[in-house]
Amino acid sequence: MGVDRILRMSSARLALFYGALVTVLTSILLVSVYLVTRSALEREINAVVRAEVEDLADELRLGGVERVAATLRLRTDSWGRTGAVFLLADEHFRRIAGNLSEWPQNVAPVTSTMIEFEIRARERETEVLHPVEARIERLENGYWLLVGADTSERNTVLRRFFLATLWGVGLTALCIWLLGATYARRTARRVREYATTCETIMQGDLTQRLRVDRSHDEFDALASAVNAMLAALERQTTTLRAAFDSIAHDLRTPLYRLRVRLEEAQLRHTAGTQSQTAAETEELVGPALEELDRVQRTLATLLEIARAEAQGLTTHGDRVDLAALAGNMVELYGPGMRAAGLEVTLDAPEPAPLTGNRQLLAQLITNLLENALKYVPAGGHVRVGVHNTPGAISFSVRDNGPGVAPGDRDAALRPFVRVGDAATRATGSGLGLSLAAAVARLHGAQLTLGDNAPGLIVHCDFPRNPG
Amino acid sequence: MLSIRKSLDSTARANVGTVMHLLLIEDDAEAARFLAKGLRESGYVVDIASDGREGLFRATEGSYDLIIADRQLPHFDGLSIVAMLRRNGRHIPVLILSALGSVDDRIEGLRAGGDDYLTKPFAFGELLARIEALLRRGNVPEVTTRIRIADLELDLLGRKVIRAGKPIDVTSKEFQLLEFLARRAGQVVTRTMLLEAVWDLHFDPQTNVIDVHISRLRAAIDRGFERPLLHTVRGAGYVLRDGG
Repeated sequence: MGVDRILRMSSARLALFYGALVTVLTSILLVSVYLVTRSALEREINAVVRAEVEDLADELRLGGVERVAATLRLRTDSWGRTGAVFLLADEHFRRIAGNLSEWPQNVAPVTSTMIEFEIRARERETEVLHPVEARIERLENGYWLLVGADTSERNTVLRRFFLATLWGVGLTALCIWLLGATYARRTARRVREYATTCETIMQGDLTQRLRVDRSHDEFDALASAVNAMLAALERQTTTLRAAFDSIAHDLRTPLYRLRVRLEEAQLRHTAGTQSQTAAETEELVGPALEELDRVQRTLATLLEIARAEAQGLTTHGDRVDLAALAGNMVELYGPGMRAAGLEVTLDAPEPAPLTGNRQLLAQLITNLLENALKYVPAGGHVRVGVHNTPGAISFSVRDNGPGVAPGDRDAALRPFVRVGDAATRATGSGLGLSLAAAVARLHGAQLTLGDNAPGLIVHCDFPRNPG
Repeated sequence: MLSIRKSLDSTARANVGTVMHLLLIEDDAEAARFLAKGLRESGYVVDIASDGREGLFRATEGSYDLIIADRQLPHFDGLSIVAMLRRNGRHIPVLILSALGSVDDRIEGLRAGGDDYLTKPFAFGELLARIEALLRRGNVPEVTTRIRIADLELDLLGRKVIRAGKPIDVTSKEFQLLEFLARRAGQVVTRTMLLEAVWDLHFDPQTNVIDVHISRLRAAIDRGFERPLLHTVRGAGYVLRDGG
């Protein structure tokens, strides 16, 4: 992966930016601490030296040079521990007392500011240089007093502090950049993985899913959402594919029969039987028209399903009393069903108002009743129920017919799937239940098939205000 | 279709008397030719306009009794033509033909001012019956209390049916059916028209659910009487009239 490619990744850019920011901030912090510490140490030495000088000046005033010399002699042995430097010299810079052997070379007698110089000392057979900061005072009798402090200790501390600061900044930066790089790589890897999966899906493999690694992070949330979308898409595509296959089959059969009839009519006409009677014409044309009607109904239903699937309830959301509508439909189908030997009852004790499309809901009920009419043998019962439950309207159609085997129930809701034996299969268009299911979905309800032991329960709960 | 046309023809002539002028606005030449031929054989005078502009011009200039307009037309579509006619205060009945058949399309068509809406493809008998219904709308006053066909009498206020002086028991839906047929006595009424009017359903169920209701109604009003009043018109629908 080239540098420019890394920089094109938003996560890498982000990590880089934060790394730089944290490094700069840490540096500023540590450098400030270093500077503050150094100046504090310098001020302390300064103060100590000044105090010492004032002390010795007082001694001089009280007891003269002798007393100063005596004090200095007393203090000389403390050199090793405190690092204090004293020297009392006469006006010709000749040593009188103190722990320096002579006036340091190249040190001009400058008073009132701190001066710096180095002294040579013997430590364990080797000569070492000690940096010293000192003050020089001219005493009242013309003698010179030099008071200073060995700063090698302080310099060592500062040097170490400085090194520690450098290390701190360096390590912080390193850690942050490593973390950033890891994060960026991980992000990039997941995004790349998603992209690869999406490409596979675009090539037609709708069974692929984005990886969910149970970390419950935002990537998992995204992957779950996309997977849910893919599942919906896959379901729709499968439905569509099945529908296309079945349309081809279901339209071809009646169209073929239609063609046969028309050809037969043509044949008879060209055969010269001019005296074709009205009855003969009817015999040929009547069934052909019926076939045409069947094709037309299938197409209309398919379009209605497609529309119900595609549109929301944006247009024509009327107030519909489902109880009254169910009553109307039972009224319409009752005589026919009773003539077929079925008993129909309606159990809708109170109004059940909901927002929806009246015609589509009527179509839903129609399809369920026609299904019952088709599949329930004479002597059976069909019960239509509409009940208000908290939050929903429960609608059901129960019968005691052959029912639908549990394994077939999902399939029965798909277009063109007919369940049951061959005799009953032949009669339906295979679209009734799937249109009912589509209408239910459009109204925010889910149509389910259940076991009425024996028989079928078709049930759905309509929310009162879908969408 | 021959038999349908004959029966519709005779009723149209008998009841309307004068020749009706229709304007057919249809851009599909083949369909227009076929429809015009059928309508002329049924006793109407038919003009054809082949696009929306010509249709609107003729509809505004000519004096027609009814306009049949395809919904999708070049220049102006059927709905715009209806809307423009209505804006100009022309209340001539308009029947819209359309390949758009969903519930919503239909509602849109009627809202635009169309008097009826027929989805393609349709049976010619359905079109004839609906034209007939539109042309004769208004012949029977909406506000009436009694309708009488031969010896059958409907009391619209008391919701009672009497035939030959004998009261007949019918359910309220049967009464609605009978009233719809009686208001259009002599006209063919299709199953679709009955579903729309009596049950407010705008789609065709797969089974012939209406036939059962009609046979029950027939059993109620015709059984035991010498002359049947409720007749089935093959391939089209039903008609309530006195005599074969």
